[in-house]
Amino acid sequence: MELSAEYLREKLQRDLEAEHVEDTTLNRCSCSFRVLVVSAKFEGKPLLQRHRLVNACLAEELPHIHAFEQKTLTPDQWARERQK
Amino acid sequence: MAAGAAEAAVAAVEEVGSAGQFEELLRLKAKSLLVVHFWAPWAPQCAQMNEVMAELAKELPQVSFVKLEAEGVPEVSEKYEISSVPTFLFFKNSQKIDRLDGAHAPELTKKVQRHASSGSFLPSANEHLKEDLNLRLKKLTHAAPCMLFMKGTPQEPRCGFSKQMVEILHKHNIQFSSFDIFSDEEVRQGLKAYSSWPTYPQLYVSGELIGGLDIIKELEASEELDTICPKAPKLEERLKVLTNKASVMLFMKGNKQELKENGELLPILRGEN
Repeated sequence: MELSAEYLREKLQRDLEAEHVEDTTLNRCSCSFRVLVVSAKFEGKPLLQRHRLVNACLAEELPHIHAFEQKTLTPDQWARERQK
Repeated sequence: MAAGAAEAAVAAVEEVGSAGQFEELLRLKAKSLLVVHFWAPWAPQCAQMNEVMAELAKELPQVSFVKLEAEGVPEVSEKYEISSVPTFLFFKNSQKIDRLDGAHAPELTKKVQRHASSGSFLPSANEHLKEDLNLRLKKLTHAAPCMLFMKGTPQEPRCGFSKQMVEILHKHNIQFSSFDIFSDEEVRQGLKAYSSWPTYPQLYVSGELIGGLDIIKELEASEELDTICPKAPKLEERLKVLTNKASVMLFMKGNKQELKENGELLPILRGEN
């Protein structure tokens, strides 16, 4: 079972055709992962649905990640946030 | 002879030494309740819990009790995500039906008694049980306008995310009821499938999943949290409702049945001398 941050990042980038995936994990515990995903696939979707997309992408890996946090933005939202 | 009886009791709890032996045991004991104690020789609480198990084994001969040294059989420990000792797993029909983390003797006794007495299992009963579980989960998620399924309790959260969730709800004065998913393994696993949501904490409003901590944090940031979740009535409102509840309201220490300092007042109100 591959659980490296790099593997997870790449999988999300691929499956969600993401513009940007960033590993923002704070405490480097081997079983925690915190990520920012920016994807056009999130357009028009409420938060719950966005998070479900991410959960589905990492369905195999999630049971083995003890602490998982995610933030989901559309490309527009991300552009606005970076301007702040 | 006391020593002999003690030895016999301890011998009643078989030791499982390998993954193969464990699989074999699950098949053999499918018809009855099997309780497995994941233990370690360096943990004193395990020795105590072994004694509790031995006692239960004497009282309930139809239940099978075994112990397994968690570090000695890692494949089994990892398969069931044993993260600490003692941990108890309950099996019926080779299926895991419950779990207890920690050395809680009364809780172990309760669970053993509950599962031992709940009828025999037939294959068709599994479908019936799934329906029951879904009904149970539906009731639970609707148990209050706002329900939080968390690890631990709001007073004693047992996980950082659950703790943060409670803090946010309190900060925004949101009225909610909570359920400790550590108290019920069936709900813990069942709810994940019911809502297709793999983690805890989980917040529900009117029986609908709103999301986990991440979503609640984003709702807080976008100021939507207050519109989605019900607020706890302010103290003034609560007092207004209470004081208007009956034509005569007595605010006292304790209740009518347990007379405390207001003992003198009650007989007068009740028309006694």
